[in-house]
Amino acid sequence: MKRRKVCFVGYGSTEYSRKSEASALSYYAEAIRDALRQTGLHKKDIRGFSITTQASPDYSPHVAEQLGLEVDWVLNGDYGGAGGVMSVRRAADAIECGHLDVAVLVGGNSFDKSVPTQRQLEYQRGNFVDVYGYGGPNSLMALIQRLHMENYGTTLEQIGKIAIAQRENALNNPQALFREPMTMQDYLSSRMISDPIRLFDCVMPCSGAECIVLASEEKAKRITDKLVYLVTDAEISHYQVANMLPDKTTFGQKVVGERIFSEVKHSDIDLVEIYDDYPIAVMIQIEDLGFCRKGEGGKFVDAHDLTYKGDFPVNTGGGELSVGQAGLAGGYLHIVEALRQLRGEADGHQVKKAERALVTGIGWLNYGRNLGTTAALVMERRK
Amino acid sequence: MAEARMPQKSLPKVNKVDERFWQAAANEKFLLQKCRSCGKLQFFPRVACVECFGELDWIESKGTGKIHSFTLVRVPRNPAFKDEVPIYYINVILDEGVIIESKLVGDSKETVRTGDRVKAVFQPTHDPAVKLPCFELA
Repeated sequence: MKRRKVCFVGYGSTEYSRKSEASALSYYAEAIRDALRQTGLHKKDIRGFSITTQASPDYSPHVAEQLGLEVDWVLNGDYGGAGGVMSVRRAADAIECGHLDVAVLVGGNSFDKSVPTQRQLEYQRGNFVDVYGYGGPNSLMALIQRLHMENYGTTLEQIGKIAIAQRENALNNPQALFREPMTMQDYLSSRMISDPIRLFDCVMPCSGAECIVLASEEKAKRITDKLVYLVTDAEISHYQVANMLPDKTTFGQKVVGERIFSEVKHSDIDLVEIYDDYPIAVMIQIEDLGFCRKGEGGKFVDAHDLTYKGDFPVNTGGGELSVGQAGLAGGYLHIVEALRQLRGEADGHQVKKAERALVTGIGWLNYGRNLGTTAALVMERRK
Repeated sequence: MAEARMPQKSLPKVNKVDERFWQAAANEKFLLQKCRSCGKLQFFPRVACVECFGELDWIESKGTGKIHSFTLVRVPRNPAFKDEVPIYYINVILDEGVIIESKLVGDSKETVRTGDRVKAVFQPTHDPAVKLPCFELA
């Protein structure tokens, strides 16, 4: 989908905490306040509101009421880790249609004990997966990683290089929970969780929230001179669902990538923010999006410097693997980091040439296949 | 009272869609669904064919297949399963051509490799009415 007149005009973030039991609502509010400060917008300017969270029963109208928002458009951006990108797409649709000119999109979770922070497992997961004592997403991604390693000869060192590069990116990111260097030996010797998935393949759950402000081009020009345009975006849910012998090592990002790269060229992308619930998921998406051929992700990683200083910058703030995963804020973190980069605000981890960024989201490991939701967008800084 | 709060191993919350499957499993049969219109076989139990949206019948699988992928679970999502770790969580390709998520059991499971032949076995659970379809190396 080609976009012409939708802009990102700002963002807001909270600190991430491994302990805080502050209410999820207060995290959303803090992220929104941060974004209002940055954009100079007032609460009454917010005409569209979306929330992405696992905290039930906080559906979007309830949260809007709590935050005192009278809005023309409200969305429960409930698409797992693709919630950020997919909410941006829906807000962009509404802005292009003229329903609103400013949308505030929030993702967040906390260890708030007053609300259930995890949904009940869906029927197919509950009745046909959990009954075997599986280890959550770690086990389902482990099945995929084993296949990638066996089918394509991908090594642990190649997968680990992604985690290590992201850690280097996190060293100067004050939001990151993990700011000590990681060596290959650290990665390889980290505790086995659901083999071949190790501890350092996994994200750290934490409390936190992220906020994105989207506006029409006309409104955007009155808000900021750092204009970042949404260029193109695509999504697919339940790729291969009718295939009872699916290729588990190919995600819906294959289709998403074909759509995205019919509008822009790979060589135009300066940095990529790839949803990183696991390093292997980053590698598979690099393949699916066409930066290299299927199965050659390991070689690709070997051949490139993935840090913010490198020739193929990936997850330049450390990604979820090093910053932490504040529940469904995970799908927003990547968009916010891309905005920091394109606005030249990534102090200490700024990519030198940052004009165009690709951001992805993936959500829900499903029965027998891989991802439920897959989405991506490209944004561009224009002077 | 402390015992009442101990987590229990997860059991299926049997519903109208999958009750035939679990009834058959209790009698040590593994059922798949087959589309009345296009003949496609599918799993897990659904209300319509994933290919053509046709109505579905049940057929019995031979319960044989091969290991597609596996992982040794050290940290189960539900802590009640801790006494079983490492759990050999598997994807099996049934000979009928359908991927199944399950668990490998039996004495020789430590030798498992992808591609190994397996056959279905049915494990009792703490609910006498529910048997869990698992697999053993053939």
